[in-house]
Amino acid sequence: MMREENKRGSRTTSIIDVLYEAPGPKARRKIRAATIVSMAVLLCLLVLIILQFYKNGQLDPRYWSIFLRKTTWTFLGEGLLGTVKAALGASLVSFGIAMLLMLWRISSRKILRGISVTLIEFTRGIPTLLFIYFFFLLAPQFGLKLPAYWKITLPVAISACGVVAEVLRSGVQSVPRGQWEAAMSLGMRWGSMFFKVIFPQAFRYVIPALISEIVIVLKDTTFAYVVNYADMMQNARVLISNYDALLSVHLVVAVIYILINYVLNKISVAAADGRNGKGKR
Amino acid sequence: MSISELLTEYGDKYVQALFTTWQLTAVSFLLALLIGIVITVMRISPVLPLRMAADFYVQIFRNIPGAALLILLVYALPYLNVVLSYYMCVLIATTLIPSAFCSEYLIAGMNTIGPGQIEAARSLGMTFLQIIRNVILPQAVRSSVLPMTNLLVATMLTTALASQVPLNPRDLTGIVSYINTHAVGGVTAFVISAALYAGTAVLIGQLGSLLDRKVRILR
Repeated sequence: MMREENKRGSRTTSIIDVLYEAPGPKARRKIRAATIVSMAVLLCLLVLIILQFYKNGQLDPRYWSIFLRKTTWTFLGEGLLGTVKAALGASLVSFGIAMLLMLWRISSRKILRGISVTLIEFTRGIPTLLFIYFFFLLAPQFGLKLPAYWKITLPVAISACGVVAEVLRSGVQSVPRGQWEAAMSLGMRWGSMFFKVIFPQAFRYVIPALISEIVIVLKDTTFAYVVNYADMMQNARVLISNYDALLSVHLVVAVIYILINYVLNKISVAAADGRNGKGKR
Repeated sequence: MSISELLTEYGDKYVQALFTTWQLTAVSFLLALLIGIVITVMRISPVLPLRMAADFYVQIFRNIPGAALLILLVYALPYLNVVLSYYMCVLIATTLIPSAFCSEYLIAGMNTIGPGQIEAARSLGMTFLQIIRNVILPQAVRSSVLPMTNLLVATMLTTALASQVPLNPRDLTGIVSYINTHAVGGVTAFVISAALYAGTAVLIGQLGSLLDRKVRILR
């Protein structure tokens, strides 16, 4: 879905830090007034939302007390495990296909390059849901019986592989020409040159982008309900039909997804900072 | 079903679906751009609560899965006595998510401008608004063409969420599941939709890089 990019949070001074001069007394007064007003507006908004919950009885303990039970969390945890399994499987499959696409993309054969470019553009421009419907509706028509796990994992992997291939290629391109030449002058074959010298460096370079890609894959696995695979979203639906607590369960599940992706994004930024810091020294 | 059979029976539905997807994409993208700019201004403002609220907004909508957001809008909001039409739910979901990414791209675009330029502008006696208008905006806009074309494609991909609710006319993804539940559309039904999606994406990408080559600042 969306491609992450994060340059904020790095240790270098950015333009945002120098946008303003140190405020004088007049500006400080203005800022303080704006702070108070905006705080009041935001608080009002929050109160309004909570009031809306209250008026419609959504703060009733029976909707929220289910989160005090251990069984609720075990069940959601099982679902989360399903989500993690699907996301990991899709990431690995996607990496495998992407590796092949990238090797074709940088190969000297024109046909392979052409095929690779076409496939990359194709997968990048098609929504994951269409791939999911492809595997869900079409595979059975060919007599192909896939388990639910692969019905969600394969389409998600295919829809991500184009971007991953481009990410890997950008990594390979970031390795200085001299590394190829040095390896060549040692008399290495192409295979060992690429996999022992070039790719390890390229891989380290693209780790942050790959982590961002995992976020996209994880988000895409929420469509698992289409194929009846028991991920967190699907288990949430079961909880809802058991306890008749739709709003609270969906809200909690959404927050869990947001937190996981938030942490993954933070890791990605930290990895990028570590990489850039090392480069500078 | 062969291509010609499929097209005579569902051709007009496909045209409708293509326009639904295009229209949803265009409207969402423009709204996302608008909200993204407002959020970005809040994020760089000196007012702490605004900054925090905008950062919170971006983190929420950058990290929430589209399906989770759509489900909240369609099924959970009615419990708060807020009932929106299916179309509105989809439009809100496909606007809010790209808007967060839009803000991220704008911030990243601003960060490509060297801090020295602001200091230089300030030493010339330019006011804050003059600096924004004459130094930051022209550069930020010109260097954000490629990220924005990517955002437009991403917005189009997000609009596939429309297939998860009953909409009339259907979007390009919805039509495929519609055809396959009414008749055996086979591979062809998918290929047509996929080609229309990918064709649109390639077109957007080509136009974007053309524009980018025209306006890019060479550094």
